[in-house]
Amino acid sequence: MDRRDFLKKSAECAAYTAATLAVPGLWKSAGAAQKGPDLVIAEGHPGPATRAGVEALGGIGRFVKTGNKVVIKPNMSFPNPPEWATTTHPDVVRALADMCLQAGASSVLILDNPLRNAEISLERSGVRGACSDLPNTQVHGITNRRFFEEVKVPHAKALNTTKIMKQVLEADVLMAVPVAKSHSATGVSLSMKGMMGLVYDRRTFHLDMDLDAAVVDLCTVLKPNLTVIDCSRILSDGGPGGPGKVIPMNKIIVSTDFVAADAMAVETGTWYGRTFKGHQVKHIQMAHARGLGNMDVASLSVKEVRSS
Amino acid sequence: MRFQRLLQLPLFFLFLFLLWRAAYPLPEWFEVDLFLRLDPLISLGSMAAARAFIPGVAWALIILGLALFLGRIFCGYMCPLGATIDFADWFRGKKGKGQNGFEEQGRYRHLKYLFLIGLAGSALVGISWIFLFSPLSLATRFFAFVVYPPALMVSNLFLEIFRPVFPHVGLGHLAFVHLNVPQYNTNFFVALFVLGILALGMVKPRFWCRNLCPAGAIIALLSLRPLFRRVVSERCTACGKCVRACPMGAISKDFKGTAQSECITCLRCREVCPEQAVSFQVTRKGPVMTKEVDLGRRSVLGAGAAGMAMAAVTMTNLHHLHGYESPRALRSSRLIRPPGALPEADFQARCVRCGECIKACLTNTLQPVWLEAGLSGLWTPKVTARLAGCEQGCAVCGQVCPTGAIRPLSLEEKIFAKIGTARIEKSRCIAWEQDKKCLICDEICPYNAIASQFAADHPVTVPVIDENKCNGCGYCEDKCPVIGESAIIVEPLGEVRLATGSYREKAKELGLVFHAKNGVEDHFILDGEREERAEERAGESGLPPGFVIGR
Repeated sequence: MDRRDFLKKSAECAAYTAATLAVPGLWKSAGAAQKGPDLVIAEGHPGPATRAGVEALGGIGRFVKTGNKVVIKPNMSFPNPPEWATTTHPDVVRALADMCLQAGASSVLILDNPLRNAEISLERSGVRGACSDLPNTQVHGITNRRFFEEVKVPHAKALNTTKIMKQVLEADVLMAVPVAKSHSATGVSLSMKGMMGLVYDRRTFHLDMDLDAAVVDLCTVLKPNLTVIDCSRILSDGGPGGPGKVIPMNKIIVSTDFVAADAMAVETGTWYGRTFKGHQVKHIQMAHARGLGNMDVASLSVKEVRSS
Repeated sequence: MRFQRLLQLPLFFLFLFLLWRAAYPLPEWFEVDLFLRLDPLISLGSMAAARAFIPGVAWALIILGLALFLGRIFCGYMCPLGATIDFADWFRGKKGKGQNGFEEQGRYRHLKYLFLIGLAGSALVGISWIFLFSPLSLATRFFAFVVYPPALMVSNLFLEIFRPVFPHVGLGHLAFVHLNVPQYNTNFFVALFVLGILALGMVKPRFWCRNLCPAGAIIALLSLRPLFRRVVSERCTACGKCVRACPMGAISKDFKGTAQSECITCLRCREVCPEQAVSFQVTRKGPVMTKEVDLGRRSVLGAGAAGMAMAAVTMTNLHHLHGYESPRALRSSRLIRPPGALPEADFQARCVRCGECIKACLTNTLQPVWLEAGLSGLWTPKVTARLAGCEQGCAVCGQVCPTGAIRPLSLEEKIFAKIGTARIEKSRCIAWEQDKKCLICDEICPYNAIASQFAADHPVTVPVIDENKCNGCGYCEDKCPVIGESAIIVEPLGEVRLATGSYREKAKELGLVFHAKNGVEDHFILDGEREERAEERAGESGLPPGFVIGR
């Protein structure tokens, strides 16, 4: 942000504040017009905070219509318990799946292509157990080639084609529900890096191309309708597999803009013992530059809520 | 259906069911290795070779006790290899040619006793060959390595065919099921062994059971005078049907006498008798066969000597792994034993090569070896890390081992049962050699033993191993994206093999001591080291990998 930007933004803020103070009720109507804030930070226990966060963003009905097929992409890549912060907290996934069903979703698929053994990862992350009693909901670790379909990536910088889970391509709604954690190659692993869990062959990302560029390429074809980042606790270092330093945060970040959500998660947490801005993460910066979203969290309308 | 089949078939399917359930997660309320524990040869043979009482396989003593009263019912009703042989004999249709009276069998019949004596001789010297002869070892190995994977392929075919139908019949959860088909080393040779045994049925039905099976021989010796015997009444017209029908050739040519040590109580003689002259009853009477077991001193001594000589030659083979002179002289650097495997000599003495651990392995990393561990190590299990890693949260291999060759470890203990150490082949590593930003080994390592660090003259971070944290699980070797041989390989160096005692304690003793930190049970990060490592990782830009300097 340069000086001119800063002055402009400051002026806008001042004007808005003045207007809000001068004309009671304007804030509310402005909020209603844009259907809620850009981003919500909900504080509380993982499940209730997830509900409160989605509610504050305009409610689940904004994303899920009756009869929709929903795919939820949590991180279930490791057979570690939730306390390790290497996988999404099961309560977050369950709350979200339940909300989708309440909104009339015809099916909810909770999918990942786990890095470690699928069977044990689904079991020990606790996600499968947490969602086992929900109707029309399935939790799967999909690893077999036959469930993936080759997709072209237009205007790719690195990743021209890749194979993506068919069910994701056929879904009406895609939700990215990562846990906030550090990553030894990409700095952090949040919603954008998490999209790699819907891909068949990840080796080529590392082997044949620039990893950050490839992640952003993938995100041009896999844009989630809703992003919910589990910051109930973050894996500050030792990621993505852990074990590492786990910091309790009691927060859930919810947004329609996955770049904004990722940037906010970066700025909310502490990584390797220090703090960072969103633009300091290479793949977030690249995604912003390519217009996938807004990493400039200062320019977002952010709402903070607390779940009881 | 015949009475024998009413019991034999359900027990055979129980055997298959238990073998199928020998998988992660293990069922809690029954022992999946039940049948293996009942095999008298596995029981006595592994106890003899290991010079120890092994409680897990002492169950076979029940079978031996039963033999005193009921004869060889194990062979006729419980043995899955027997059931397979019966099926093959039935499928072939034609009965064996020639005479079938007990006295007309020639001397093949005694081979099973001679094999038994030979095995005892070998075991006395210290080599266990029972895996070549034990019916349960043969059957388990055959059904696990040869039958199970193709059966899964067929199941997948059905899943594929009916996949579009599932959502409409309330089986939506099956829509994404695709069974992982495991692959097994040496499966072809395992098949040849058993197919050879089945082919012998062309000579006589149950040729193996009559003539060769040393487990049958043990039971036979105990069932010379059982309580429950075949009795022929006065109604017998000497038609000879029973002699021709007997799958064991246990009936004497005068139709009256029965070789009790050969009779498996299948009741076929009673069923085929047109006069109902044959019955089975508790009796002390009845004609007794003379010379049921007629071995001769020369053959007994010869068999024992041959077994001992076999063992001695094996032990002086260059590739024998537990020679007392130089225990690991020519050990393959790729021979990684499963976590909890006993010290090699004990391990080989106890391992009956049944393949149960290999079948149960969650990730398919366990494989039977061919000659990699010497002739005496044939079909012992090894971790094949390039195929898959050994999963941190799974210890089923030790849980299903019937003889304790692999100790049953808790998950806590298993983490400390180090099976080897990873080593980076820098010339193959694309980070070290080609400056590629590849950190998969670091990313996957469940023990945090691999760090990505900046190193002099390298523009990207490169993987570095801390051998004191490496468990040898092999996930790094598995996931390394280099084609062909991995750039990071696990070797046996540093493996911990304990016959008794806690692996956790041993790890502490070896300086592999780890502390819990931050409420997370973090076994593999040393206190005080984290900050130091963060500094190390930061490198010249002052930032950890993946971050860039801000605007």
